[in-house]
Amino acid sequence: MKKLVLLGLCLLTSSVQAAQFDVYMTKYKPLKLAWIIGSDPKLETQRAIVHDVTEKDLTSSQSFRSMDPLSFLSNTSDIFRRVVYSDWRVIGTDILSVARLRKTSHGWEASVAVHDAVRSQLLAQTRLKIEGPEVRRLSHLIANFIYKTALGVPGHFDTHILYVRKHGKLSDLVYIEQDGAKRQNVGRNFNLLLSPDWSPNNQIVALNTYVGNRPRLETFELTTGKRHVFGQFSGLNSTPEWSPNGQFIAAALSHTGNSELHLYNVKTKKWRQLTHHWAIDTTPTWSPDGSMIAFTSNRSGKPQIHRIFLKDGSVKQISVNGTYNTTPAWSPRGDRIAFITRKKWQYALATMRADDGSDVRYLVTGGRIESPSWSPNAQMLLFSRESHGLRRVYRTPSWGGKAEAITPANEDASDPSWSH
Amino acid sequence: MKLNHYSTLGMALMLSIGLIFSGCSTTKHHAKLDKHGSAPVVKKAEPTPAPTPEVVIAEPAHQIYFAYDSSELDPSAAAILDANTEWLSANPGKSIVIEGNCDERGSREYNLALGQERADSVKAHLEARGVTGIETVSFGEEKAACEGTGEACWAQNRRADIVIR
Repeated sequence: MKKLVLLGLCLLTSSVQAAQFDVYMTKYKPLKLAWIIGSDPKLETQRAIVHDVTEKDLTSSQSFRSMDPLSFLSNTSDIFRRVVYSDWRVIGTDILSVARLRKTSHGWEASVAVHDAVRSQLLAQTRLKIEGPEVRRLSHLIANFIYKTALGVPGHFDTHILYVRKHGKLSDLVYIEQDGAKRQNVGRNFNLLLSPDWSPNNQIVALNTYVGNRPRLETFELTTGKRHVFGQFSGLNSTPEWSPNGQFIAAALSHTGNSELHLYNVKTKKWRQLTHHWAIDTTPTWSPDGSMIAFTSNRSGKPQIHRIFLKDGSVKQISVNGTYNTTPAWSPRGDRIAFITRKKWQYALATMRADDGSDVRYLVTGGRIESPSWSPNAQMLLFSRESHGLRRVYRTPSWGGKAEAITPANEDASDPSWSH
Repeated sequence: MKLNHYSTLGMALMLSIGLIFSGCSTTKHHAKLDKHGSAPVVKKAEPTPAPTPEVVIAEPAHQIYFAYDSSELDPSAAAILDANTEWLSANPGKSIVIEGNCDERGSREYNLALGQERADSVKAHLEARGVTGIETVSFGEEKAACEGTGEACWAQNRRADIVIR
Protein backbone atom coordinates (compact mmCIF):
# COMPACT_ATOMS: atom_id res chain seq x y z
CA MET A 1 0.00 0.00 0.00
CA LYS A 2 2.80 2.36 0.99
CA LYS A 3 4.55 1.50 -2.25
CA LEU A 4 1.40 2.41 -4.15
CA VAL A 5 1.12 5.74 -2.35
CA LEU A 6 4.79 6.47 -3.05
CA LEU A 7 4.35 5.57 -6.69
CA GLY A 8 1.28 7.83 -6.83
CA LEU A 9 3.24 10.69 -5.27
CA CYS A 10 6.09 10.24 -7.75
CA LEU A 11 3.69 10.25 -10.69
CA LEU A 12 1.92 13.31 -9.34
CA THR A 13 5.20 15.14 -8.73
CA SER A 14 6.49 14.40 -12.21
CA SER A 15 3.27 15.57 -13.87
CA VAL A 16 3.23 18.72 -11.78
CA GLN A 17 6.68 19.75 -12.98
CA ALA A 18 5.48 20.15 -16.56
CA ALA A 19 2.24 21.84 -15.59
CA GLN A 20 1.38 25.49 -15.05
CA PHE A 21 0.00 24.83 -11.60
CA ASP A 22 1.60 23.64 -8.38
CA VAL A 23 -1.09 21.27 -7.18
CA TYR A 24 -1.81 21.76 -3.49
CA MET A 25 -0.69 18.77 -1.44
CA THR A 26 -2.36 18.30 1.90
CA LYS A 27 -0.40 17.30 4.97
CA TYR A 28 -3.49 15.58 6.32
CA LYS A 29 -3.09 11.88 7.01
CA PRO A 30 -6.30 9.87 6.75
CA LEU A 31 -7.48 8.29 10.01
CA LYS A 32 -7.03 4.52 10.12
CA LEU A 33 -10.48 3.10 10.62
CA ALA A 34 -11.37 -0.35 11.91
CA TRP A 35 -15.01 -0.91 10.98
CA ILE A 36 -16.99 -3.90 12.21
CA ILE A 37 -20.69 -4.58 11.82
CA GLY A 38 -22.46 -7.69 13.07
CA SER A 39 -25.96 -9.10 12.67
CA ASP A 40 -28.07 -12.20 12.97
CA PRO A 41 -26.69 -14.70 10.37
CA LYS A 42 -30.07 -14.54 8.54
CA LEU A 43 -29.38 -10.90 7.71
CA GLU A 44 -25.92 -11.54 6.24
CA THR A 45 -26.76 -10.11 2.78
CA GLN A 46 -27.97 -6.81 4.23
CA ARG A 47 -25.12 -6.72 6.77
CA ALA A 48 -22.58 -7.04 3.96
CA ILE A 49 -24.28 -4.21 2.02
CA VAL A 50 -24.23 -1.90 5.05
CA HIS A 51 -20.61 -2.80 5.79
CA ASP A 52 -19.43 -2.12 2.24
CA VAL A 53 -21.45 1.03 1.53
CA THR A 54 -20.44 2.62 4.86
CA GLU A 55 -16.80 1.73 4.27
CA LYS A 56 -16.89 3.10 0.73
CA ASP A 57 -18.53 6.33 1.91
CA LEU A 58 -15.88 6.95 4.55
CA THR A 59 -12.88 6.05 2.43
CA SER A 60 -14.19 8.05 -0.55
CA SER A 61 -14.03 11.15 1.65
CA GLN A 62 -10.25 10.55 1.84
CA SER A 63 -10.48 11.44 5.55
CA PHE A 64 -10.33 7.75 6.49
CA ARG A 65 -8.36 4.73 5.42
CA SER A 66 -10.09 1.43 6.02
CA MET A 67 -8.02 -1.23 7.82
CA ASP A 68 -7.87 -4.80 6.58
CA PRO A 69 -9.91 -7.06 8.92
CA LEU A 70 -7.15 -9.68 8.61
CA SER A 71 -4.95 -7.39 10.67
CA PHE A 72 -7.40 -7.30 13.58
CA LEU A 73 -6.08 -8.98 16.74
CA SER A 74 -9.29 -8.87 18.73
CA ASN A 75 -11.91 -11.51 18.30
CA THR A 76 -14.65 -9.52 16.60
CA SER A 77 -17.42 -11.66 18.05
CA ASP A 78 -16.22 -10.48 21.45
CA ILE A 79 -16.11 -6.83 20.49
CA PHE A 80 -19.78 -6.23 21.18
CA ARG A 81 -19.16 -6.99 24.85
CA ARG A 82 -15.87 -5.21 25.49
CA VAL A 83 -13.14 -3.31 23.63
CA VAL A 84 -9.48 -3.98 24.43
CA TYR A 85 -8.02 -0.70 23.20
CA SER A 86 -4.40 -1.92 23.30
CA ASP A 87 -5.24 -4.60 20.71
CA TRP A 88 -6.35 -1.83 18.34
CA ARG A 89 -3.58 0.63 19.16
CA VAL A 90 -0.88 -1.94 18.47
CA ILE A 91 -2.06 -2.42 14.88
CA GLY A 92 -2.23 1.36 14.35
CA THR A 93 -5.96 1.96 14.60
CA ASP A 94 -7.07 5.56 15.07
CA ILE A 95 -10.83 5.08 15.07
CA LEU A 96 -12.71 1.88 15.85
CA SER A 97 -16.39 1.71 15.00
CA VAL A 98 -18.58 -1.18 15.98
CA ALA A 99 -22.20 -1.62 14.92
CA ARG A 100 -25.00 -4.13 15.05
CA LEU A 101 -27.72 -4.38 12.39
CA ARG A 102 -31.27 -5.43 13.25
CA LYS A 103 -34.52 -5.79 11.36
CA THR A 104 -37.45 -3.88 12.86
CA SER A 105 -41.16 -4.25 12.13
CA HIS A 106 -41.06 -1.31 9.66
CA GLY A 107 -37.45 -1.25 8.49
CA TRP A 108 -33.91 -1.37 9.83
CA GLU A 109 -31.99 -0.28 12.87
CA ALA A 110 -28.29 -0.06 13.72
CA SER A 111 -26.68 0.62 17.06
CA VAL A 112 -23.31 2.24 16.41
CA ALA A 113 -20.39 3.02 18.70
CA VAL A 114 -17.30 5.05 17.78
CA HIS A 115 -14.11 4.62 19.81
CA ASP A 116 -10.89 6.60 19.87
CA ALA A 117 -8.31 3.80 19.97
CA VAL A 118 -5.42 6.20 20.63
CA ARG A 119 -7.03 7.78 23.71
CA SER A 120 -8.80 4.54 24.74
CA GLN A 121 -12.24 6.06 24.97
CA LEU A 122 -15.73 5.68 23.67
CA LEU A 123 -16.44 8.88 21.72
CA ALA A 124 -20.15 8.42 21.03
CA GLN A 125 -22.84 5.83 20.44
CA THR A 126 -26.29 6.01 18.93
CA ARG A 127 -29.18 4.07 17.46
CA LEU A 128 -30.09 4.86 13.85
CA LYS A 129 -33.34 3.81 12.19
CA ILE A 130 -34.84 3.87 8.72
CA GLU A 131 -38.21 2.75 7.43
CA GLY A 132 -38.81 0.57 4.39
CA PRO A 133 -37.27 -2.62 3.05
CA GLU A 134 -34.10 -1.08 1.64
CA VAL A 135 -31.07 -0.98 3.88
CA ARG A 136 -28.72 1.15 1.77
CA ARG A 137 -29.65 4.55 3.20
CA LEU A 138 -28.89 3.30 6.72
CA SER A 139 -25.26 2.89 5.61
CA HIS A 140 -25.10 6.60 4.70
CA LEU A 141 -26.52 7.54 8.12
CA ILE A 142 -23.94 5.34 9.86
CA ALA A 143 -21.15 6.89 7.78
CA ASN A 144 -22.44 10.37 8.73
CA PHE A 145 -22.36 9.41 12.42
CA ILE A 146 -18.82 7.99 12.33
CA TYR A 147 -17.57 10.96 10.28
CA LYS A 148 -19.12 13.57 12.59
CA THR A 149 -17.92 11.79 15.73
CA ALA A 150 -14.34 11.37 14.50
CA LEU A 151 -13.91 14.71 12.70
CA GLY A 152 -16.42 17.07 14.27
CA VAL A 153 -17.83 17.94 10.85
CA PRO A 154 -21.23 16.75 9.57
CA GLY A 155 -20.99 13.96 6.99
CA HIS A 156 -22.10 14.45 3.37
CA PHE A 157 -23.11 10.86 2.72
CA ASP A 158 -26.92 11.10 2.82
CA THR A 159 -27.00 13.58 -0.08
CA HIS A 160 -27.63 13.57 -3.83
CA ILE A 161 -26.03 14.87 -6.98
CA LEU A 162 -27.62 16.09 -10.19
CA TYR A 163 -25.75 16.24 -13.46
CA VAL A 164 -26.47 16.63 -17.17
CA ARG A 165 -26.03 13.67 -19.48
CA LYS A 166 -25.80 14.66 -23.13
CA HIS A 167 -26.68 12.12 -25.81
CA GLY A 168 -26.56 13.39 -29.36
CA LYS A 169 -28.20 16.80 -29.34
CA LEU A 170 -30.42 16.08 -26.35
CA SER A 171 -29.72 16.17 -22.65
CA ASP A 172 -31.12 14.38 -19.59
CA LEU A 173 -31.11 15.49 -15.97
CA VAL A 174 -29.64 12.61 -13.95
CA TYR A 175 -30.11 12.12 -10.18
CA ILE A 176 -27.74 9.91 -8.18
CA GLU A 177 -26.80 9.28 -4.58
CA GLN A 178 -23.53 11.01 -3.70
CA ASP A 179 -21.65 7.74 -4.24
CA GLY A 180 -23.01 7.36 -7.77
CA ALA A 181 -25.59 4.72 -6.87
CA LYS A 182 -29.32 4.58 -7.62
CA ARG A 183 -29.13 6.61 -10.79
CA GLN A 184 -32.38 7.98 -12.20
CA ASN A 185 -33.10 10.05 -15.30
CA VAL A 186 -35.43 12.57 -13.70
CA GLY A 187 -35.74 14.85 -16.75
CA ARG A 188 -35.42 13.62 -20.30
CA ASN A 189 -34.59 15.02 -23.73
CA PHE A 190 -33.97 18.67 -23.02
CA ASN A 191 -32.78 20.63 -26.03
CA LEU A 192 -29.65 21.88 -24.26
CA LEU A 193 -29.64 21.83 -20.48
CA LEU A 194 -27.23 23.99 -18.53
CA SER A 195 -26.42 25.02 -14.96
CA PRO A 196 -28.94 23.05 -12.86
CA ASP A 197 -29.04 24.31 -9.26
CA TRP A 198 -30.87 22.79 -6.26
CA SER A 199 -33.27 24.88 -4.18
CA PRO A 200 -32.26 25.02 -0.50
CA ASN A 201 -34.98 22.45 0.38
CA ASN A 202 -33.72 20.09 -2.37
CA GLN A 203 -37.19 19.89 -3.96
CA ILE A 204 -36.87 22.17 -6.99
CA VAL A 205 -34.11 22.63 -9.54
CA ALA A 206 -33.54 25.93 -11.37
CA LEU A 207 -32.06 25.39 -14.83
CA ASN A 208 -31.32 26.95 -18.20
CA THR A 209 -32.74 25.21 -21.25
CA TYR A 210 -33.52 26.12 -24.87
CA VAL A 211 -36.91 25.74 -26.51
CA GLY A 212 -37.18 26.49 -30.22
CA ASN A 213 -33.61 27.83 -30.15
CA ARG A 214 -34.56 30.34 -27.45
CA PRO A 215 -32.94 30.18 -24.02
CA ARG A 216 -35.13 30.25 -20.96
CA LEU A 217 -34.93 29.77 -17.23
CA GLU A 218 -37.14 27.12 -15.69
CA THR A 219 -37.83 25.53 -12.36
CA PHE A 220 -38.16 21.75 -12.37
CA GLU A 221 -39.91 19.93 -9.51
CA LEU A 222 -37.96 16.77 -8.75
CA THR A 223 -40.85 14.71 -7.40
CA THR A 224 -43.45 15.61 -10.06
CA GLY A 225 -41.29 16.61 -13.03
CA LYS A 226 -43.41 19.76 -13.35
CA ARG A 227 -41.66 22.56 -15.29
CA HIS A 228 -42.32 26.27 -14.89
CA VAL A 229 -40.77 29.09 -16.96
CA PHE A 230 -39.62 32.05 -14.86
CA GLY A 231 -37.24 33.82 -17.25
CA GLN A 232 -37.76 34.21 -20.98
CA PHE A 233 -36.31 37.55 -22.00
CA SER A 234 -34.76 38.53 -25.30
CA GLY A 235 -31.09 37.57 -25.42
CA LEU A 236 -29.33 35.76 -22.60
CA ASN A 237 -31.22 33.85 -19.87
CA SER A 238 -28.55 31.92 -18.01
CA THR A 239 -26.81 30.64 -14.86
CA PRO A 240 -29.67 30.53 -12.31
CA GLU A 241 -28.58 30.27 -8.66
CA TRP A 242 -30.88 29.99 -5.63
CA SER A 243 -30.30 32.27 -2.66
CA PRO A 244 -29.58 30.38 0.59
CA ASN A 245 -33.02 31.31 1.99
CA GLY A 246 -34.81 30.20 -1.19
CA GLN A 247 -36.48 33.59 -1.72
CA PHE A 248 -34.48 34.67 -4.77
CA ILE A 249 -32.85 33.23 -7.84
CA ALA A 250 -29.92 35.20 -9.24
CA ALA A 251 -29.26 34.86 -12.98
CA ALA A 252 -27.47 36.52 -15.90
CA LEU A 253 -29.82 38.26 -18.38
CA SER A 254 -28.94 40.55 -21.28
CA HIS A 255 -32.26 42.16 -22.24
CA THR A 256 -31.25 45.44 -20.58
CA GLY A 257 -28.36 45.86 -23.02
CA ASN A 258 -25.64 43.41 -21.98
CA SER A 259 -25.04 40.48 -19.65
CA GLU A 260 -25.94 41.71 -16.15
CA LEU A 261 -26.89 39.96 -12.91
CA HIS A 262 -30.59 40.15 -12.03
CA LEU A 263 -32.56 38.84 -9.04
CA TYR A 264 -35.85 36.99 -9.36
CA ASN A 265 -38.13 37.17 -6.34
CA VAL A 266 -39.73 33.73 -6.10
CA LYS A 267 -42.74 35.03 -4.14
CA THR A 268 -43.61 38.21 -6.09
CA LYS A 269 -42.32 36.75 -9.40
CA LYS A 270 -40.62 40.08 -10.16
CA TRP A 271 -37.10 40.66 -11.45
CA ARG A 272 -34.74 43.45 -10.47
CA GLN A 273 -31.40 44.33 -12.00
CA LEU A 274 -28.44 43.93 -9.66
CA THR A 275 -25.31 44.92 -11.63
CA HIS A 276 -24.99 47.87 -14.03
CA HIS A 277 -21.84 47.68 -16.09
CA TRP A 278 -21.00 47.53 -19.80
CA ALA A 279 -18.87 44.40 -19.21
CA ILE A 280 -19.99 40.77 -19.03
CA ASP A 281 -21.35 39.83 -15.59
CA THR A 282 -22.35 36.17 -15.19
CA THR A 283 -22.27 32.98 -13.01
CA PRO A 284 -23.58 34.37 -9.70
CA THR A 285 -22.97 32.42 -6.48
CA TRP A 286 -24.33 33.46 -3.07
CA SER A 287 -22.39 33.79 0.15
CA PRO A 288 -23.96 31.40 2.69
CA ASP A 289 -25.35 34.33 4.74
CA GLY A 290 -27.00 35.76 1.60
CA SER A 291 -25.34 39.17 1.99
CA MET A 292 -23.06 38.96 -1.06
CA ILE A 293 -22.91 37.43 -4.52
CA ALA A 294 -19.65 36.49 -6.19
CA PHE A 295 -19.65 36.43 -10.01
CA THR A 296 -17.48 36.42 -13.13
CA SER A 297 -16.94 39.80 -14.78
CA ASN A 298 -14.55 41.04 -17.45
CA ARG A 299 -14.90 44.65 -16.30
CA SER A 300 -11.15 44.79 -15.73
CA GLY A 301 -10.52 43.57 -19.29
CA LYS A 302 -10.24 39.85 -18.53
CA PRO A 303 -12.65 37.53 -16.76
CA GLN A 304 -12.07 37.71 -12.99
CA ILE A 305 -14.09 36.83 -9.89
CA HIS A 306 -15.82 39.82 -8.26
CA ARG A 307 -18.32 40.15 -5.46
CA ILE A 308 -21.19 42.53 -4.89
CA PHE A 309 -22.65 43.54 -1.52
CA LEU A 310 -26.41 43.36 -1.87
CA LYS A 311 -26.90 46.08 0.76
CA ASP A 312 -25.19 48.89 -1.14
CA GLY A 313 -24.36 47.42 -4.54
CA SER A 314 -20.62 47.98 -4.10
CA VAL A 315 -18.41 45.68 -6.17
CA LYS A 316 -14.90 44.44 -5.40
CA GLN A 317 -12.59 42.22 -7.46
CA ILE A 318 -11.55 39.13 -5.50
CA SER A 319 -9.34 37.01 -7.78
CA VAL A 320 -5.93 38.56 -8.29
CA ASN A 321 -3.79 35.79 -9.80
CA GLY A 322 -3.84 35.07 -13.53
CA THR A 323 -5.87 36.48 -16.39
CA TYR A 324 -8.73 34.01 -16.72
CA ASN A 325 -10.71 33.15 -13.60
CA THR A 326 -14.33 32.08 -13.95
CA THR A 327 -17.28 30.13 -12.54
CA PRO A 328 -17.08 30.88 -8.81
CA ALA A 329 -18.80 28.61 -6.28
CA TRP A 330 -19.00 29.97 -2.74
CA SER A 331 -18.22 27.40 -0.05
CA PRO A 332 -21.16 26.61 2.27
CA ARG A 333 -18.80 27.50 5.14
CA GLY A 334 -18.30 30.93 3.61
CA ASP A 335 -14.54 31.19 3.98
CA ARG A 336 -13.44 30.14 0.48
CA ILE A 337 -14.55 30.36 -3.14
CA ALA A 338 -13.88 27.57 -5.63
CA PHE A 339 -13.36 28.63 -9.24
CA ILE A 340 -11.86 27.58 -12.56
CA THR A 341 -8.62 29.19 -13.58
CA ARG A 342 -6.58 28.97 -16.75
CA LYS A 343 -2.92 29.59 -17.50
CA LYS A 344 -1.43 29.04 -20.96
CA TRP A 345 -4.43 26.94 -21.98
CA GLN A 346 -4.21 24.67 -18.97
CA TYR A 347 -7.16 24.61 -16.64
CA ALA A 348 -7.31 24.03 -12.90
CA LEU A 349 -9.91 23.75 -10.20
CA ALA A 350 -8.79 26.09 -7.45
CA THR A 351 -10.00 27.66 -4.23
CA MET A 352 -9.10 31.03 -2.70
CA ARG A 353 -10.05 33.03 0.36
CA ALA A 354 -13.43 34.66 -0.18
CA ASP A 355 -12.47 38.00 1.37
CA ASP A 356 -9.34 38.92 -0.58
CA GLY A 357 -8.58 36.15 -3.09
CA SER A 358 -5.37 35.17 -1.30
CA ASP A 359 -4.13 31.65 -0.42
CA VAL A 360 -4.97 30.16 -3.84
CA ARG A 361 -4.88 26.35 -3.83
CA TYR A 362 -4.82 24.53 -7.14
CA LEU A 363 -6.60 21.24 -6.46
CA VAL A 364 -6.91 19.51 -9.82
CA THR A 365 -5.45 20.18 -13.24
CA GLY A 366 -5.45 18.48 -16.67
CA GLY A 367 -8.21 18.40 -19.28
CA ARG A 368 -10.95 20.99 -19.57
CA ILE A 369 -12.21 21.44 -16.03
CA GLU A 370 -15.56 23.12 -15.39
CA SER A 371 -18.53 23.63 -13.06
CA PRO A 372 -17.30 23.36 -9.45
CA SER A 373 -19.96 22.46 -6.87
CA TRP A 374 -19.45 22.03 -3.10
CA SER A 375 -20.72 19.26 -0.86
CA PRO A 376 -23.01 20.74 1.81
CA ASN A 377 -20.33 20.25 4.50
CA ALA A 378 -17.73 22.04 2.31
CA GLN A 379 -15.35 19.06 2.49
CA MET A 380 -15.66 17.87 -1.12
CA LEU A 381 -15.91 19.47 -4.55
CA LEU A 382 -17.52 18.17 -7.70
CA PHE A 383 -16.38 19.24 -11.15
CA SER A 384 -16.49 18.00 -14.73
CA ARG A 385 -13.44 17.24 -16.81
CA GLU A 386 -13.33 16.72 -20.57
CA SER A 387 -10.83 14.57 -22.29
CA HIS A 388 -11.11 13.12 -25.80
CA GLY A 389 -14.46 14.81 -26.34
CA LEU A 390 -16.24 13.21 -23.37
CA ARG A 391 -16.87 14.82 -20.01
CA ARG A 392 -17.00 13.01 -16.67
CA VAL A 393 -18.01 14.19 -13.23
CA TYR A 394 -15.35 13.87 -10.53
CA ARG A 395 -15.13 14.60 -6.83
CA THR A 396 -12.11 15.65 -4.83
CA PRO A 397 -11.53 16.79 -1.25
CA SER A 398 -11.64 20.59 -1.05
CA TRP A 399 -8.56 20.46 1.19
CA GLY A 400 -6.43 18.62 -1.39
CA GLY A 401 -6.46 15.00 -2.45
CA LYS A 402 -7.04 12.82 -5.44
CA ALA A 403 -9.89 13.19 -7.93
CA GLU A 404 -12.23 10.25 -8.38
CA ALA A 405 -14.73 9.86 -11.26
CA ILE A 406 -18.31 9.22 -10.21
CA THR A 407 -19.93 8.93 -13.66
CA PRO A 408 -19.29 6.18 -16.22
CA ALA A 409 -16.48 6.57 -18.76
CA ASN A 410 -18.80 6.01 -21.73
CA GLU A 411 -21.27 8.85 -21.19
CA ASP A 412 -20.96 12.61 -21.54
CA ALA A 413 -21.62 14.04 -18.06
CA SER A 414 -21.40 17.70 -17.07
CA ASP A 415 -22.85 20.46 -14.88
CA PRO A 416 -22.76 18.59 -11.54
CA SER A 417 -24.66 20.10 -8.64
CA TRP A 418 -24.51 18.77 -5.08
CA SER A 419 -27.70 18.85 -2.96
CA HIS A 420 -27.84 20.87 0.27
CA MET B 1 -24.80 30.62 -47.46
CA LYS B 2 -21.64 31.16 -49.48
CA LEU B 3 -23.10 28.75 -52.01
CA ASN B 4 -26.08 31.02 -52.41
CA HIS B 5 -23.77 33.90 -53.01
CA TYR B 6 -21.96 32.04 -55.77
CA SER B 7 -25.09 30.53 -57.26
CA THR B 8 -26.63 33.99 -57.58
CA LEU B 9 -23.53 35.24 -59.34
CA GLY B 10 -23.49 32.17 -61.57
CA MET B 11 -27.09 32.62 -62.56
CA ALA B 12 -26.51 36.27 -63.41
CA LEU B 13 -23.52 35.27 -65.57
CA MET B 14 -25.44 32.56 -67.43
CA LEU B 15 -28.33 34.91 -67.99
CA SER B 16 -26.09 37.56 -69.57
CA ILE B 17 -24.33 34.98 -71.79
CA GLY B 18 -27.73 33.72 -72.85
CA LEU B 19 -28.83 37.22 -73.75
CA ILE B 20 -25.71 37.81 -75.87
CA PHE B 21 -26.29 34.58 -77.85
CA SER B 22 -29.97 35.22 -78.39
CA GLY B 23 -29.09 38.73 -79.65
CA CYS B 24 -26.76 37.21 -82.31
CA SER B 25 -29.25 34.64 -83.59
CA THR B 26 -31.94 37.28 -83.96
CA THR B 27 -29.72 39.21 -86.37
CA LYS B 28 -29.01 36.07 -88.49
CA HIS B 29 -32.66 35.20 -88.62
CA HIS B 30 -33.52 38.62 -90.07
CA ALA B 31 -30.80 38.20 -92.74
CA LYS B 32 -32.27 34.88 -93.96
CA LEU B 33 -35.71 36.36 -94.32
CA ASP B 34 -34.66 38.40 -97.36
CA LYS B 35 -36.59 36.30 -99.94
CA HIS B 36 -35.73 38.33 -103.03
CA GLY B 37 -32.15 37.30 -103.09
CA SER B 38 -31.09 40.85 -103.46
CA ALA B 39 -28.23 41.96 -101.60
CA PRO B 40 -29.43 42.76 -98.25
CA VAL B 41 -29.68 46.40 -97.65
CA VAL B 42 -27.85 47.16 -94.64
CA LYS B 43 -30.01 49.51 -92.80
CA LYS B 44 -28.48 51.74 -90.36
CA ALA B 45 -29.54 50.20 -87.12
CA GLU B 46 -31.57 52.46 -84.97
CA PRO B 47 -30.03 52.82 -81.60
CA THR B 48 -32.00 50.63 -79.23
CA PRO B 49 -32.67 52.27 -75.91
CA ALA B 50 -30.40 50.96 -73.18
CA PRO B 51 -32.34 48.62 -70.87
CA THR B 52 -33.11 50.04 -67.45
CA PRO B 53 -30.46 48.42 -65.29
CA GLU B 54 -32.08 46.04 -62.80
CA VAL B 55 -30.26 46.16 -59.49
CA VAL B 56 -29.56 42.64 -58.34
CA ILE B 57 -27.55 42.47 -55.15
CA ALA B 58 -25.94 39.15 -54.61
CA GLU B 59 -26.70 37.66 -51.20
CA PRO B 60 -23.70 38.29 -49.01
CA ALA B 61 -21.98 35.96 -46.60
CA HIS B 62 -23.79 35.83 -43.27
CA GLN B 63 -20.94 34.74 -40.98
CA ILE B 64 -18.97 37.19 -38.90
CA TYR B 65 -15.78 35.93 -37.25
CA PHE B 66 -14.15 37.17 -34.04
CA ALA B 67 -10.83 37.09 -32.22
CA TYR B 68 -10.48 35.01 -29.05
CA ASP B 69 -12.43 36.37 -26.04
CA SER B 70 -13.54 39.35 -28.14
CA SER B 71 -16.79 40.68 -29.53
CA GLU B 72 -15.18 43.50 -31.50
CA LEU B 73 -15.95 43.80 -35.20
CA ASP B 74 -12.84 44.04 -37.33
CA PRO B 75 -12.85 45.83 -40.76
CA SER B 76 -13.61 42.62 -42.68
CA ALA B 77 -16.56 41.95 -40.35
CA ALA B 78 -17.79 45.50 -40.88
CA ALA B 79 -17.54 45.03 -44.67
CA ILE B 80 -19.62 41.84 -44.50
CA LEU B 81 -22.17 43.59 -42.28
CA ASP B 82 -22.43 46.53 -44.68
CA ALA B 83 -23.07 44.08 -47.53
CA ASN B 84 -25.77 42.49 -45.38
CA THR B 85 -27.30 45.90 -44.65
CA GLU B 86 -27.48 46.63 -48.38
CA TRP B 87 -28.94 43.22 -49.15
CA LEU B 88 -31.51 43.47 -46.35
CA SER B 89 -32.66 46.91 -47.51
CA ALA B 90 -33.17 45.44 -51.00
CA ASN B 91 -34.97 42.43 -49.52
CA PRO B 92 -37.25 43.87 -46.86
CA GLY B 93 -39.68 41.95 -44.66
CA LYS B 94 -37.26 39.24 -43.56
CA SER B 95 -36.98 38.00 -40.02
CA ILE B 96 -33.43 38.27 -38.75
CA VAL B 97 -31.88 36.30 -35.90
CA ILE B 98 -28.23 36.72 -34.97
CA GLU B 99 -26.73 33.65 -33.33
CA GLY B 100 -23.57 34.17 -31.26
CA ASN B 101 -21.08 31.31 -30.88
CA CYS B 102 -17.72 30.70 -29.23
CA ASP B 103 -14.86 28.27 -29.45
CA GLU B 104 -14.60 25.59 -26.79
CA ARG B 105 -11.86 27.22 -24.76
CA GLY B 106 -12.84 28.89 -21.52
CA SER B 107 -15.83 28.57 -19.27
CA ARG B 108 -19.09 27.48 -20.87
CA GLU B 109 -21.17 29.96 -18.91
CA TYR B 110 -18.80 32.84 -19.67
CA ASN B 111 -18.86 31.76 -23.31
CA LEU B 112 -22.66 31.97 -23.31
CA ALA B 113 -22.35 35.63 -22.27
CA LEU B 114 -19.54 36.20 -24.79
CA GLY B 115 -21.64 34.68 -27.60
CA GLN B 116 -24.46 37.02 -26.63
CA GLU B 117 -22.08 39.98 -26.70
CA ARG B 118 -20.99 38.96 -30.21
CA ALA B 119 -24.58 38.70 -31.39
CA ASP B 120 -25.36 42.06 -29.76
CA SER B 121 -22.42 43.83 -31.38
CA VAL B 122 -23.56 42.58 -34.81
CA LYS B 123 -27.10 43.70 -34.00
CA ALA B 124 -25.91 47.16 -32.93
CA HIS B 125 -23.91 47.57 -36.14
CA LEU B 126 -26.89 46.65 -38.31
CA GLU B 127 -29.35 48.75 -36.31
CA ALA B 128 -27.09 51.79 -36.57
CA ARG B 129 -27.51 51.38 -40.35
CA GLY B 130 -31.28 51.24 -40.18
CA VAL B 131 -31.97 47.50 -40.06
CA THR B 132 -34.83 46.76 -37.68
CA GLY B 133 -36.55 43.71 -36.19
CA ILE B 134 -33.37 41.88 -35.20
CA GLU B 135 -33.40 39.17 -32.54
CA THR B 136 -30.33 37.67 -30.92
CA VAL B 137 -29.48 34.36 -29.27
CA SER B 138 -26.28 32.90 -27.86
CA PHE B 139 -25.35 29.25 -27.98
CA GLY B 140 -21.95 29.84 -26.38
CA GLU B 141 -19.82 26.83 -27.28
CA GLU B 142 -22.81 24.45 -27.44
CA LYS B 143 -23.28 24.48 -31.23
CA ALA B 144 -19.82 24.21 -32.64
CA ALA B 145 -19.65 24.40 -36.46
CA CYS B 146 -16.34 22.57 -36.34
CA GLU B 147 -16.05 19.74 -33.82
CA GLY B 148 -12.39 19.47 -33.07
CA THR B 149 -9.44 21.27 -31.62
CA GLY B 150 -6.83 23.57 -33.08
CA GLU B 151 -7.00 27.16 -34.26
CA ALA B 152 -8.36 26.25 -37.71
CA CYS B 153 -11.39 24.77 -36.01
CA TRP B 154 -11.71 27.27 -33.18
CA ALA B 155 -11.61 30.21 -35.61
CA GLN B 156 -14.70 28.83 -37.35
CA ASN B 157 -16.52 28.56 -34.05
CA ARG B 158 -15.85 32.14 -32.88
CA ARG B 159 -18.67 33.41 -34.99
CA ALA B 160 -21.99 35.17 -35.27
CA ASP B 161 -24.44 33.84 -37.86
CA ILE B 162 -26.99 36.17 -39.41
CA VAL B 163 -29.94 33.85 -39.95
CA ILE B 164 -32.48 35.35 -42.38
CA ARG B 165 -35.85 33.79 -43.08
